[in-house]
Amino acid sequence: MKIFKSIKWRLQIWYGLILVVVLAGFGITAYQLERNRQFRQIDEELHRRVGVLGNALHRPPPRRPDAEQQPFDRPPPGQFPDNGPPEQNFRPPTEFHLPEQDAHFFDASDPHGFYFKIIARDGNEIGRSTNQPAALIEHALESGLDSHPANNFDQVSATPGNSPRQPKVLNFDNYREIRDVLPSGENIAVGCSITPELKELRHTALNLVAVGGLILLVGLAGGGWLVARAIKPISSISATAVKISAGDLSQRIDLTEAESELGQLAAVLNSTFARLETAFAQQKQFASDAAHELRTPISVILTQTQTALNRERDAASYKQTVEACQRAAQRMRKLIESLLALARLDAGQEVLKRLPFDFSKTISDCVELVQPLADERGVKIISELSPLEITGDAERLAQVVTNLLNNAIQYNNPDGEVRVKLAAENGLAVLTVADTGQGIAAEDLPRVFGRFFRADQSRTGAGNSGLGLAICKAIVEAHGGTIEVSSEQNVRTTFVVRLPLG
Amino acid sequence: MRILVVEDEPDLLASLAQALREEGYAVDTADNGDDGLFNAEGTDYDAIVLDVMLPGQDGWEILKRLRKTKKTPVLMLTARDQTRDRVKGLDTGADDYVVKPFDLEEVFARLRAIIRRSANKTTNLVEIGEVKINTAARHVFFKDRIIELTAREYALVEFMVLHRGEVVTRTQLYEHLFDENDSSLSNLLDVHVSNVRKKLGAEFIATRRGHGYCIE
Repeated sequence: MKIFKSIKWRLQIWYGLILVVVLAGFGITAYQLERNRQFRQIDEELHRRVGVLGNALHRPPPRRPDAEQQPFDRPPPGQFPDNGPPEQNFRPPTEFHLPEQDAHFFDASDPHGFYFKIIARDGNEIGRSTNQPAALIEHALESGLDSHPANNFDQVSATPGNSPRQPKVLNFDNYREIRDVLPSGENIAVGCSITPELKELRHTALNLVAVGGLILLVGLAGGGWLVARAIKPISSISATAVKISAGDLSQRIDLTEAESELGQLAAVLNSTFARLETAFAQQKQFASDAAHELRTPISVILTQTQTALNRERDAASYKQTVEACQRAAQRMRKLIESLLALARLDAGQEVLKRLPFDFSKTISDCVELVQPLADERGVKIISELSPLEITGDAERLAQVVTNLLNNAIQYNNPDGEVRVKLAAENGLAVLTVADTGQGIAAEDLPRVFGRFFRADQSRTGAGNSGLGLAICKAIVEAHGGTIEVSSEQNVRTTFVVRLPLG
Repeated sequence: MRILVVEDEPDLLASLAQALREEGYAVDTADNGDDGLFNAEGTDYDAIVLDVMLPGQDGWEILKRLRKTKKTPVLMLTARDQTRDRVKGLDTGADDYVVKPFDLEEVFARLRAIIRRSANKTTNLVEIGEVKINTAARHVFFKDRIIELTAREYALVEFMVLHRGEVVTRTQLYEHLFDENDSSLSNLLDVHVSNVRKKLGAEFIATRRGHGYCIE
């Protein structure tokens, strides 16, 4: 089911279960404590009355109304004087009437009040209160008098004074009764209805359930709110991610809780999104630039051929058209080769040779290659090369050197010079190509190695695709090297290539 | 009709100029921004074909400066086809633009349109007496019969028609019918006027002695 897969609902369910267990534990404990307290209270009352009855039973019957003033000290209720068994002092009574003074302990008119029953040693009943519930009598006789007076007596006398008599506590339906055997052998049963207490306990239980339920509801609501709050950043993150996957890369996650764990996650995601956006924008720009570069040669071919086909021409005119088309095609070929080279270098697919070779030899070959162009422009090339062996792809690095030299000649002043220097420095092979040309404007310097960068934003020659330095940079970096440029306008431009030695 | 083409790619410039000349336009060329602006400011062209990417001043810059002094209709050639580039071009004062790579036919049609608009004409069909001219098809009818005109003769008729009701001076005609490579010292203009009168009736072009020519 979907609902159980949702973190929010799973958290909510676990939270609810734990809350229910805790509340139930508390509720049951509270109920038990209350119940024990109630019964203890009842038992105390019952014990007290057993004591009262015991005392009354062995008191000589009053002869005068002032007989209440006993010559001897009465023990506190529930206790017997321990100056020997009472039967040594008194004849066992055969009939018992509750004395006036103790009548308030047993209110006969109250059906739920305390009642008593006394059975003599010989098993004859010697007294009972009138309010003893009739239904209980048989029951009491059956189960209550398992403590047969004789047995009880024997038992008690067999271990006189040693083991304290344990009064029996019995529950019948809604009644609670205590049975005790006096040392003189009489069985005393004192009971009362516990209906009010049971009612009160039920009431307490209902209260506990109600309060527990209320707490559970409040807890669930609060928990739900907390969970929703904690989960909220996640839904915000996923909503943003959905928009981004739909193509809107400018979306960012709202970082209102930057300090929390989710806030940190969101920050990491945001920086990833930003990098993605930049990469996509660059890629888009690159594709658009590449398409743009292809538009001009295609325009040439289209206008040339359309003009040529407009009417009959002589052979020389057709030749001109074909030559122009060829130039355009060459330019496109060169552009496409550059684009492919860059794409391969970008993707790391370009397999570079890793062979040791003398870099100075490569450079002097390149100088030789560009010498005709330099002569044509009246530019002097000054080489200062120390033999240095490096490992790499000689052909690719020659491409870098030729490109730098071509630029240095092309953007030089007539009668200018190009200085080429190769030296070892801090464990690196350092190639410096410096020209005395027009220089590069400071604001353009950071973009020099960018794709389709041209100093004057126009085609200064069909051979200049604006990708040369970008390719140089890609090749040098594929060799683990660096390339830098510095320039002073109308004074000089210096390119420095650093490659690892060895 | 005299047109200036500013384009730095030599092969493109050459073929554009040739094609336009073959369409009967007088064509001047410039292969960089500075020369382009100099020509555009110095001569009353009927239209300018202007590339955006140029060495020296670029197309936007030329357009901005030119608009301070002249209303010459300008057709921009651009390799950028994004909306913001087009909006920029039109906002800077270009009359139309063509995205590279283009078809020559489209360039011709757009040129005709911007020239017509600049002369406040909205249709391609003009009727003057018994002469009917379709400037889109470059056809001229006289008494409902199609008349063969040379490119230069047609250009003369079209220019006069666009300036109908005005007196057109000989200097104006020289400026608009001949480019910088033609010799303006010849009496070529008189020959063309005379030929047109032979083909379309003597009263089609009236001579205002001491002023120039006029189509009523």
